[in-house]
Amino acid sequence: MNLSLLFDIMISGLIIGGIYALVALGLNLQYGLMRVLNVAHGEFLMLGAYITYSLYTGWGVNPLLTLLITAPLAFGVGLALHRLLYRRVLVEGEAPEVLESRSLLLSFGLLFVIQNAALLLWSSDIKGYGYLSIPLRFLGAIFSANRIVAAAVALGVSVGFYLYLKRSIAGKAIRALMQEPEGAQLVGISLPKLHAYCFGVGIAMSAITGSLISMFFELTPFIGLSYTVTALVVIILGGLGNMMGSLAGGLILGLVETLGVYFAASDIRPIVSYGVLSLILILKPSGLFNR
Amino acid sequence: MKKFFLGHHHVRSVSAANAFALVLVLALLGAPAYLSPYHRALALALLADVALAVSWAFFSGPTRYLSLATGAFFGAGAYTTAVLGGSLAWPLPVLAGAMVGAGFALVVGVLALRLRGPYFAVFTFGLAELAKHLVIWYETGFTGTVGRWILAQPGQWTIYYTVLSLAGLAVATTFLLRRSRWGYALVGVGSDEERAETLGINTTLVKIGVFALSAAFMGAVGASMAPRWTYLDPNVFNPFVSFQVVIMVLLGGAHSIWGPVVGAVFIGLASEILLLKFRYFYMFGLGLTLIAVVLALPSGLMGLAHYLRRHPKRPHATA
Repeated sequence: MNLSLLFDIMISGLIIGGIYALVALGLNLQYGLMRVLNVAHGEFLMLGAYITYSLYTGWGVNPLLTLLITAPLAFGVGLALHRLLYRRVLVEGEAPEVLESRSLLLSFGLLFVIQNAALLLWSSDIKGYGYLSIPLRFLGAIFSANRIVAAAVALGVSVGFYLYLKRSIAGKAIRALMQEPEGAQLVGISLPKLHAYCFGVGIAMSAITGSLISMFFELTPFIGLSYTVTALVVIILGGLGNMMGSLAGGLILGLVETLGVYFAASDIRPIVSYGVLSLILILKPSGLFNR
Repeated sequence: MKKFFLGHHHVRSVSAANAFALVLVLALLGAPAYLSPYHRALALALLADVALAVSWAFFSGPTRYLSLATGAFFGAGAYTTAVLGGSLAWPLPVLAGAMVGAGFALVVGVLALRLRGPYFAVFTFGLAELAKHLVIWYETGFTGTVGRWILAQPGQWTIYYTVLSLAGLAVATTFLLRRSRWGYALVGVGSDEERAETLGINTTLVKIGVFALSAAFMGAVGASMAPRWTYLDPNVFNPFVSFQVVIMVLLGGAHSIWGPVVGAVFIGLASEILLLKFRYFYMFGLGLTLIAVVLALPSGLMGLAHYLRRHPKRPHATA
């Protein structure tokens, strides 16, 4: 294996990994704070991708500028969903397992609703467009500009959000709620408000990722679930509620997968991601770094 | 004990229900006398749904383990019939399907029943997909096919009576389980697993045993239904089956004996009418139904009916 090939695989892995990190961060934000395992998370990625696709092919809007539309839109949808669905399930004083199961069922319901709404709106035909598919050369390897840009934006948003959690007052409040929900509420942090906010931000991250990948991946209404599974693998790998873990886990999974696809075959991907997920669950029933 | 506390009115409504059940059983047994081929197919599909929903509920109802493995066990049973390919006389493939389903569930149960809450659900959700890809990998790599013909066909009414017996057997199992030590142990697992264990219940044995029993029914239903397709490919491992069954049971009510039956007939009819013509609308509606049931009807239609019977003047609240 020569050096430029290794470089090629490394960069490709990091590009995919940056995208995984952002989806996983969004899912982790919802799960870490509320214990809502939102299996419809990837559906918002799919919606973001389709909205960008429609704006670009219909009105010629620059795909990167559509982030300014998809992100606030998804945030608003997240707030609305939290208010309409999850808040009602989460306030009742039942056992945590029952609450987790009920919120999981709600997300499965959402998955069906969103996926089939997308099928009705955009049909099951494969859609796609090319934007910024200019080849760039580094050290003998060739990368497409749109992927570099997408990975840069995804990593920028992820790192930015991580710093926001570390540095800002609101970020501290969120981390306090994750670590000690009762104590945090005692010192005056509003749980329902931050739940809604984090749910919205999480979904916005998913939609942003969708807008970004629509520049170079083909779209069908079925793409969401595989990203949800990937994000699940990442957050279980990196630790539930551990944001740095999601960032690192996303990058690592991207690298491992790229290596795996290079040395084995690409059609084993679904087996590998479910297999890894099952294996982690069997070996560590409550996640690798669960607090 | 409980019987002494039932009022006169309640006793009468129970005997009315018995009479209704008797009529229903006679009508189902005598179906060849009056059902057209179309209605026979519909009745068969509904009976299969009932058998799946009831067998899902006798494990997942009391234990609250949200299993999404139905599609995997059903698929395993169906694929068993296809692999046997008519080498065994009719009821034997069904028996084989039951054994394959139960064996599959034993392996899954040993691995996964330590997981709680959503982890178990996520693990079982992946099973159908995993099984499908493994079978595709095996078939393309070793046998060079991706599908199988089922040429040996038992008679249509034979299949009907097989599935009818399975549905009846599943309902009978629910009754028996509820009154047995295992049934109480399952309820104990559902309300507080650690306490149940402290009280001397071998929770692992009970959980895996009943999980395998429910999977045996699912495998048997899959094996019985397989000849209806003539041609079978690995897509028979369908995660959608798992969801449909969960929605049926939750809609009907997971904690009542007849809830799964009511839910299965309801959703089964809806899918029969809508699935082929308005596929996406149907699935969309199914998702909305799931959300509505979780939010507004936590004990399902049977819970609602029960509540209305007790509080006839306040029909708006739910149980």
